[in-house]
Amino acid sequence: MSREKDAANYAVVFFAAISVLLLLFPVSKIAHTVRIAASYSLYPSLHYGASYSHYIRNVPDNFVKLLETDQENRGLKEKVKELEVRLQSASTLEAENARLAAEMGLSRALPWTGAWARVINKTPADWYGSFFIDRGSESGIAVNDTVLGIEGGRAGLAGRIFEVYPKFSKVLLLTNSAASAVCALAPDGLEALVEGKGTWMLKLNYVPEEAALAEGVEVLTSPGGLLFPAGVLVGRVRKVYQRESFMNFITADIVPAVNVNTLKEVFVVRRNLPEELLGARQAEKK
Amino acid sequence: MSIILELAVYLAVGAGYWWWAQNLAFFGLVPNLVFAAALCAAILAGPVKGIAWGFFLGLYADILGTSMFGANALTYTLMAYTVYVVKRHFDLDSPFSQVVAALSLSWFCMLFYRGLGLVFSSPNPMDLRVFLAEPFLNALAVPVMFQIFYRLKRRFGVL
Repeated sequence: MSREKDAANYAVVFFAAISVLLLLFPVSKIAHTVRIAASYSLYPSLHYGASYSHYIRNVPDNFVKLLETDQENRGLKEKVKELEVRLQSASTLEAENARLAAEMGLSRALPWTGAWARVINKTPADWYGSFFIDRGSESGIAVNDTVLGIEGGRAGLAGRIFEVYPKFSKVLLLTNSAASAVCALAPDGLEALVEGKGTWMLKLNYVPEEAALAEGVEVLTSPGGLLFPAGVLVGRVRKVYQRESFMNFITADIVPAVNVNTLKEVFVVRRNLPEELLGARQAEKK
Repeated sequence: MSIILELAVYLAVGAGYWWWAQNLAFFGLVPNLVFAAALCAAILAGPVKGIAWGFFLGLYADILGTSMFGANALTYTLMAYTVYVVKRHFDLDSPFSQVVAALSLSWFCMLFYRGLGLVFSSPNPMDLRVFLAEPFLNALAVPVMFQIFYRLKRRFGVL
C-alpha cells in the first residue's frame, strides 16, 4: 500500500511538474504548430476572434499564411454566394429596364394621356378576374379609366379601373366573366361584343351569321362603345363556331392581345367620362 | 496490446467529445466527455495509470483549446490524484457516489482552471451557464462512461 502511495505521489508530482512547465514556458515552435493545426482543424471558428494573433505568435510564417489562406477562402466563398444573389437580382432589373424602356418609347406614340402603373397584387382565386395597380386617386386615376397592356410593341386592352383608392386601384380585367367590350372586326368594322369567360380566352358574341369571320382577324374596340377609346387592339379570332340551330348569330374564341400572366406594368388612359356613365355608387359619391 | 487499446480508447474519447460538441450541443452545452473519461480512469485504474490518463486527457483538452497550454493537464492530474485519495475511503463504484464525485469535481476543476487563468493569463469572465449546467451533464455522463471503461477493463484488460 505504501509503495502504491509513493508511486501515486511520484506520478502526481511528475505530471504536475510537466503541466506547470508547459504553463510557464512557451512551447517549442513545432509543438505550438501541432497544437494550432489540431485546434484549427477541429474548431476553426475559435481562430476568428480578435485574440487570434496572440495564439499564432510562435507559429512559422508559412503555416500562418496557410491558415490565413483558408480563412480568406471561407470569406471569399461567402462573398461569392452574396454576389450570386445580387447577380440574380441585377438580371431581373436588367430585364425590367429593357421592358420599361420599350414601353416608354411606345407610350410616347400613344394618342392618349395617362399614367403608367405597376401591377402589385394578383389574387390566385381571381387570376383572370382582377388585379391591383400601384396608382390611385392621388395620381388622377378614376373609375372606368381604360387599362392598356403592352405586348409585342403594341398596346392592347387589358381592362378598366373598377375601384379607386388613394394610393392603389383595382382593375377589372377583360377576361373577367363579368366584363365585356363593344368591338369592331377588321377590316369592315362589323360590330360585336367581346366577353370575358373567366379563363385566358375571350368570347366574341353576336356576330351576324352572314358575316365572313375568319381566323386571325383583329378585333379592335369600337367607337360605338363609350367605355373604351376606339381602335385599341382587343385580340385576334382563334376559332369560329358555326351558328347553333336556335340562334341567328355565330360566336368565336378570341386570343386576348394582352397576356394577363406576363403583365407587369399597365398604362392607364384617363377617360374623363361623363358622370352619367359612372356607376351608381360613384355618382352618389360625387 | 493493452497500450494500443488504451491509445485507441484515448483517441475515441477525444473524437467522441469533438463529435458531440459539433453535432449534439444543446444551447452550446455539452457534457465534458474528456473530464468524464479522466474521472472514470482515475476511479478504475491504479494510481499511476489514473494520473497519467488525467494528464494526457488534459493535454488533449489543452490542444483543442486556445488558451493556457497545460492548464487542463494540471487540473486533471490533480483531479486524478484526488480521486485516488478519496477512493481509498469511499466506494466510488456505485452510480450515486460517481454522480456526487462528478458534480463536486466538475466545479473544483472549473474553479481551479479559472484560478490558473488568474495566475498564468489574463483573467476571463466565468461563463455562469457552463458553470451551473455542465457539472450536471458531467454527472450524467460519468456513470455511463464508467460502465464502458469497466467493461473494457474486464474484457480487454485496459486500465
